[in-house]
Amino acid sequence: MLEKTLVDSIKTIDSLTQAQQLALGKFIDKGFPTSKWEEWKYASLKHLNERDWKWSPEKLSVDFSKPQWKHSAIIQTLNGNTHSEGALPQGIALLPMSEFMAQNPAFDSVWKARNPILDQNSLYDLNEALVNDHAVLWVKKGVKIVEPLLHHYLVSGQQDTAVQSKLFIYLEEDSEITWFEQQRSESSHAILSNYVQEIWVSKNAHLTLIKDQDLQQSITHVDHTFIFQQESSLVDAFTFSINAAYLRNNLHFYIDGPQVVSNLNGLYIPGEDQLMDTHSVVDHRMPHSESNELYKGVLMGNATGVFNGKIFVRPDAQKTNAFQSCKNVLASDRATMNTKPQLEIWADDVKCSHGTTTGQLSDEALFYMRSRGISKATAQTLLLLAFVQQVIDKLEHEEIRAELSDKIVNKIQASLGLTLL
Amino acid sequence: MLSVKNLHARIGDKEILNGINLEVHAGEVHAIMGPNGSGKSTLASVLAGRSDYEVSEGSVEFFGKDLLDLSPEARAAEGLFLAFQYPVEIPGVSTTNFMKSAINEIRAYRGQDAMDAVQFLKMFKEKMAYVNIDQTLLSRALNEGFSGGEKKRNEIFQMAVLEPKLAILDETDSGLDIDALRIVAEGVNKLKTPQNATILVTHYQRLLDYIIPDFVHVLYKGKIVKSGNKDLALELEERGYDWIISALD
Repeated sequence: MLEKTLVDSIKTIDSLTQAQQLALGKFIDKGFPTSKWEEWKYASLKHLNERDWKWSPEKLSVDFSKPQWKHSAIIQTLNGNTHSEGALPQGIALLPMSEFMAQNPAFDSVWKARNPILDQNSLYDLNEALVNDHAVLWVKKGVKIVEPLLHHYLVSGQQDTAVQSKLFIYLEEDSEITWFEQQRSESSHAILSNYVQEIWVSKNAHLTLIKDQDLQQSITHVDHTFIFQQESSLVDAFTFSINAAYLRNNLHFYIDGPQVVSNLNGLYIPGEDQLMDTHSVVDHRMPHSESNELYKGVLMGNATGVFNGKIFVRPDAQKTNAFQSCKNVLASDRATMNTKPQLEIWADDVKCSHGTTTGQLSDEALFYMRSRGISKATAQTLLLLAFVQQVIDKLEHEEIRAELSDKIVNKIQASLGLTLL
Repeated sequence: MLSVKNLHARIGDKEILNGINLEVHAGEVHAIMGPNGSGKSTLASVLAGRSDYEVSEGSVEFFGKDLLDLSPEARAAEGLFLAFQYPVEIPGVSTTNFMKSAINEIRAYRGQDAMDAVQFLKMFKEKMAYVNIDQTLLSRALNEGFSGGEKKRNEIFQMAVLEPKLAILDETDSGLDIDALRIVAEGVNKLKTPQNATILVTHYQRLLDYIIPDFVHVLYKGKIVKSGNKDLALELEERGYDWIISALD
């Protein structure tokens, strides 16, 4: 439960719409998640109930250093405010949700009927309560953009601040984009970075979604990404969880049409005093679709990792192929990994498989490498890098792959005190 | 170069080596033979530094240094090489990258400059021709999905690259057909110089048709119970181990 002073302070926020007030009421009733809540068992945020949060974050303006590689646009979300740096490519618009809905009145009822799974998620309520009229990235019909759209997500604060950000991405039929999201922070204060991203992928559209999560040790980052896929659409999602004291990913795929392909790739590499939790949902609501989940984790220092992978195959979702794999290496004897695959299959003509493993580096392999003159530290590094490479290699964009690969290698080497000659 | 004195080693409570004495000099080829469970592979593992074994007594000197005091990687850098009976699969690491890391760490240990990509390429080409191994095999993840013959040939390639002073080949003949055996043996023979030495650990005489040993030792219950020249191996092939064992027991 929220501390009373906190309830009082959040109630002083004025000019909330009725819907926002409703969501706020829900949040106040529930408070931040504690370990007693099933979905937050290993990733309690109880301590947030007692912090003196500033609920309205500072306005930020940031000189963003552009990447060396070719990109089609830069979009920034700074403490919840989204704008584009310069012009957007033709066929792509960034506008408030109210305007988007005014231009797409038929979509309103479809959107309201989307029905995501929101159990035990008071942070979603909090986001809904404090965000009004968030931005929409609208990709028009048949628009195919080859170069990535770079999204710079940043949270910051001069004191303990709860930052709410929300973004809606709407891909019309036959469109195609690569969304590369760099999630960052600039603060030594406790920041709650509470981010909701909803994505509508229309018929035949193709989205590549890459999240590079590299935030400071003072940050609690909760990322809710809900993706709604229509007929024959394809989504390749990548989540690289590199740094933050607390990083929670609620990544949901709702498969609302036939011939949909959903690929979920994830890599988390928590080190000392870091917790990284992935809760994925793949909800097969329609037949003839396919989902592939590949997650890998390297846990170092006293890190905690959580993987909960839910797959639902609803009664109508015959001929579904759903695969899930989650492999973890404990690179320290103080690290913990909690895995829980959860499959609920209501249809009878489906192919589903899942496998989770958690282990240590093979002593046999280490000895073999050492017997050739490779030091133990280098041998460990080589084996760990080979282990994570499988996920990184799935990235097609060469420069992004190289950038992330370097970052991941550096993190692992720094955390384990290893160097590679 | 190698001087093993009264070496005892155990795994848990089980004594496996029971006082081994062995002197190896430059230019020599020693064959260690013996029935299953006599401690042959344990001896090879202890010399290479596998941590599963505890050395309870005795000493091993390698060029005057206390070998048992060195980490496995330091032993390799000092010039010791173990060709594994069962080479381990290293997923995601190619033989070439593996060897580059090994070479440069060994060079660092010896105070030499690292080799660059061009030097590696030249050296690898030379050694590949030497042991008759294909480039595609070296680009694949080390030992992953290799056949028995490919794994052993890869071991000999690594040996050619590392140029050890003392090579220990642990049951290198196991699981090889006669053609593969010949290729591996040819590789070992080519790499032999008056400056280096080889210890062949083998169950069968077969390998010794291709690599002629200067000395043959019979290991039994963790001890060398008989030594001789290459004729001893032929005698073992003909008569088995029983005549030696029954003379002891």
